[in-house]
Amino acid sequence: MVRSIPRPFSLLAEVTHRCPLHCPYCSNPTSLPPVGDELDTGEWHRVLREAAEMGVLHVGFSGGEPLQRPDLADLVAAARAAGLYSNLITSAVGLSRERAEKLKAAGLDSVQISFQSDDEPLANLIAGTKVHGKKLEAAALVRELGFPLTLNVVLHRANIGRLPEIIALAERVGAERLELANVQFYGWAFQNRLALLPTREQIRQAVGISFAAKERLQGRMEVIFVAPDYYAEKPKPCMHGWASRHLTVNPRGDVLPCPTAGEIKSLHFENVRQKPLRWIWAESESFNRFRGTEWMPQPCRSCEFREIDFGGCRCQAALLTGDAASTDPACAFSPFRDRLTRIVDSLQDAAAPFTGDAVTYRENPQ
Amino acid sequence: MSPLSPTERPKLSARARLQADKVTGRPILLYPEGVLVLNATGEAIVDLCRGDLTLEEIISQLAAKYQAPADAIARDVVAYLDRLRAVNLLETSTAHG
Repeated sequence: MVRSIPRPFSLLAEVTHRCPLHCPYCSNPTSLPPVGDELDTGEWHRVLREAAEMGVLHVGFSGGEPLQRPDLADLVAAARAAGLYSNLITSAVGLSRERAEKLKAAGLDSVQISFQSDDEPLANLIAGTKVHGKKLEAAALVRELGFPLTLNVVLHRANIGRLPEIIALAERVGAERLELANVQFYGWAFQNRLALLPTREQIRQAVGISFAAKERLQGRMEVIFVAPDYYAEKPKPCMHGWASRHLTVNPRGDVLPCPTAGEIKSLHFENVRQKPLRWIWAESESFNRFRGTEWMPQPCRSCEFREIDFGGCRCQAALLTGDAASTDPACAFSPFRDRLTRIVDSLQDAAAPFTGDAVTYRENPQ
Repeated sequence: MSPLSPTERPKLSARARLQADKVTGRPILLYPEGVLVLNATGEAIVDLCRGDLTLEEIISQLAAKYQAPADAIARDVVAYLDRLRAVNLLETSTAHG
């Protein structure tokens, strides 16, 4: 049987794992390879060119903090030359006027800035460093230079109660998109999940507030609410299916079907230093392992939703059940669903307020 | 979303980039986190959303080009522009009002 290989549409270019912030909700792996292994400028040029030739349309420069790379404008120019629509996914730390103008001249299309809260002391507490003021300045600069601006706010127990104020902040700074993304439990966030999980009541209120905002702001600001897995009945359609539309290249050149797939220790991921991107996408074992629906176990295999949610997230299955091929435990049909339900139920009345002592802050690779 | 007025001068948002798709050769609109593949009608409409023509003028130009009744063209154009407005790809004076 001839396997049909889908076309990739987006590339996440994780150009470095270094970051000046220490957010305990970070989904980066908790153990990172040494900084010296990062792909160099020329290697990234090749990755961007190969991605565009395969049909990729969007590139997100991410990390870590992509502004930590002195050659970022050079990489943006290469993306533009290849016809890619580029997005800078940044904490905004390091986005001086000079650099922002340089990125604009290089052809950067849009900017996404992370905020930890609207409230400065809380935002700084979550980031583990004093950066909120710099973010506000950078957001104003981004709008002044005419970039479309997305605000990304990861929601968790400490900040979800401030949702109306967070939405107001996004309006005030002139964002055109607002991503209200409930924390996803991978990497550092997984380690800190008991301190970060919101309560059921917090989620109920947040859903109402965000949907009202979505309606009110239609045509002006797009509001995206990413539902929390641990409270879901159905799993998220993670990446629209494994290796179906997206690829991530990490700082040392490993190619992954999603940013957290490195968590799946049973798979070997290929590297752009050894293999062409097109081969990795189409032929590699890791990309084909969970493509389509053939790989599915029960209850997914005979489930009517198998082409809708694709069995959920492989990384979450690996993290919570030890087997990346099992049904995502966020699904009500998963035999492991009670592992999540138990955590969530135990939390409700006993949820402690967020403090810096209750979490492990993200550390940088050496 | 309030309905577009006939005197509105729709303009494609600066956040969108129109280019040919490398794989299919078809015109596509790229914007943050999204892409819209344009059919022939869509391309003809988007081409006129430059901010100099009113909605009324766009409709009459397209009616002449396709030799079709203006009210049928108007329905298509308004529906298409509403699609663009829903994803914030059209600059109009009402969009921020």
